[in-house]
Amino acid sequence: MAVIEADQLTKTFSLRTRPEGRFAALRGMIRPNIRAVEAVRGVSFQVEEGEVVAFLGPNGAGKSTTIKMLTGILAPSGGGARVLGLDPSRERRRLAWSIGSVFGQKSQLWFHLPPSDSFKLLGAIYEIEPKELARRTAALSERFALAELMDAPVRKLSLGQRIRCEIAASLLHKPRVLFLDEPTIGLDVVARKEIRALIAELNKEDGVTVFITSHDMGDIEKICKRAIIIHHGRVVIDESMKALKHRALSKKYLGVRYAGPVDLELPGLSPSKRTERSARYELDTAKHSLAEAVRALASRGELEDITVEDEPLEDVIAAIYASKSEDEAGAFGASRRVRGAGDA
Amino acid sequence: MRSLSSRLRCSYLAALTALRERAAYAGNFGASMLTYGLFVFIFSRVWAGAYAGDALIAGYSLDMAVWYFIVAEISAFGFGRFFWGLSRDVKSGQVAYLLARPYDFVGYHYAERLGGSLAEVGFIALEGLVAGLILVGPLPAALVGGGAAAGIGRAAVVVFSLFLAGTLQFYLQFALALSAFWLEENDALYWIYQKFALVVGTLIPIEFLPEAAARLSLWTPFPYLSYAPARLFVAFSWDEAARLIGGQLAWIAVGMALARGTFALGSRRVALNGG
Repeated sequence: MAVIEADQLTKTFSLRTRPEGRFAALRGMIRPNIRAVEAVRGVSFQVEEGEVVAFLGPNGAGKSTTIKMLTGILAPSGGGARVLGLDPSRERRRLAWSIGSVFGQKSQLWFHLPPSDSFKLLGAIYEIEPKELARRTAALSERFALAELMDAPVRKLSLGQRIRCEIAASLLHKPRVLFLDEPTIGLDVVARKEIRALIAELNKEDGVTVFITSHDMGDIEKICKRAIIIHHGRVVIDESMKALKHRALSKKYLGVRYAGPVDLELPGLSPSKRTERSARYELDTAKHSLAEAVRALASRGELEDITVEDEPLEDVIAAIYASKSEDEAGAFGASRRVRGAGDA
Repeated sequence: MRSLSSRLRCSYLAALTALRERAAYAGNFGASMLTYGLFVFIFSRVWAGAYAGDALIAGYSLDMAVWYFIVAEISAFGFGRFFWGLSRDVKSGQVAYLLARPYDFVGYHYAERLGGSLAEVGFIALEGLVAGLILVGPLPAALVGGGAAAGIGRAAVVVFSLFLAGTLQFYLQFALALSAFWLEENDALYWIYQKFALVVGTLIPIEFLPEAAARLSLWTPFPYLSYAPARLFVAFSWDEAARLIGGQLAWIAVGMALARGTFALGSRRVALNGG
């Protein structure tokens, strides 16, 4: 059952710009230049109950705007959305009972007060009986290891501790769908790992559907089963993580180091980096056989070391982000897209 | 549909949480208490000069004029800042994040923001009381005369009027702040509002205005922001209490409708691009 549906979702913002030339400020007041900025251009996708979906894209791609439309914060300019069968922009308050959201750069906790106070207020907002609230708070406190943080003012918490509290707070009312907008932004490696483990656990044990945006490929690889990549306001890739990782397998990085100087040129394959006795090759496995390349390199001299690495997922996605124009992005997506193929 | 008890519990906790947040540092109130104290001292001297040789001006004695100023400024200082926080939230887009909750937005923010201001009002009121006792002397006889029970009853009415003044301040400032949904720069609107509020009943009682202006002002919300509680404090009568509190309630109804209407129209215009 689809719990999130976006159908040709579009958002256009009006941007007021100042005219050029003499008396620009005055003319701008009388007749301002209004420019339409299309942040999201006909985005369509569906998310099934219990999925963990990564919603990716470079800065300005339209990720946060899409999340805001799905949570009812923004009204779409065109198209439609349904979350848990409700229209977010028309039924925002009804929907709020069943969804949770964490915007990594915005806090829902009171800064000078301990998280326990914010939890009590959120409990009242979501009409949770005091006894039930105490039970849920205790359970979340145990799961998120918050016991020692609950009585400390939020301003005294580290960013990682605060985000743990933010996510726990967003779960107090037992939402069926959790929207996470860059939840690990600014966190160190340890804190990121903790947050990822918690999100994965939530999904596995409670069946919460998670829709997450992140620039951190670690988040995506570790917890998501599917990725939707948006660029220039359009979906360019929507496929399983398995399929996305498979793309990475089509490119290998081959590194060699020899005991002495050797000829590092292979037929049809030049090193991308080289010294007198070491080299690094980027192999497109569709064009070159990895086994043949390894055999050829082993025959060139006495090998001290040889390494074979997959293309990092980050590089695959960066290539899409780097597309200079929307056509390029579309073409890139079209050539790579395997909609629904290999779904995990 | 939320039940009344759950709405009340939510409002109570919103007010209490905001109050605790504001009271986390007593130092937060230092600047406003200092300015308030300075204003009270300067105006007590100004009135002393203005009253030289006069026992009464427009029915007010020197003591009444100073007490009036002390009480009128409690409302102006304690409840005068809702606009800035709300307007900033609209301009920065923060308001959008506040919308994603299953509550009555206007009602919740009334409880939260008024609750937050109560700590400041309490500190300022205490300071004003001490300053008045030092600068003027005993509390006005119209308030405390006729026995302790009667005095407490009248004081409770003044406190209630002060609370209604805060409520009216909230709704009017809420509607003004939400004009930011349409205007890129709406500070000027508040500046005009503030100046009217200052002249009509805060700096001076409306009886000090020309008669026609005083009569006209009663058809505006401004006398009900500071004048009502301050007038009742210095010249209490049950007739006037009924008239002024009735006016406050009527203007609160208008302000509430204005705030809700502005929110209903404005919240459709929420636009925030980027993360």
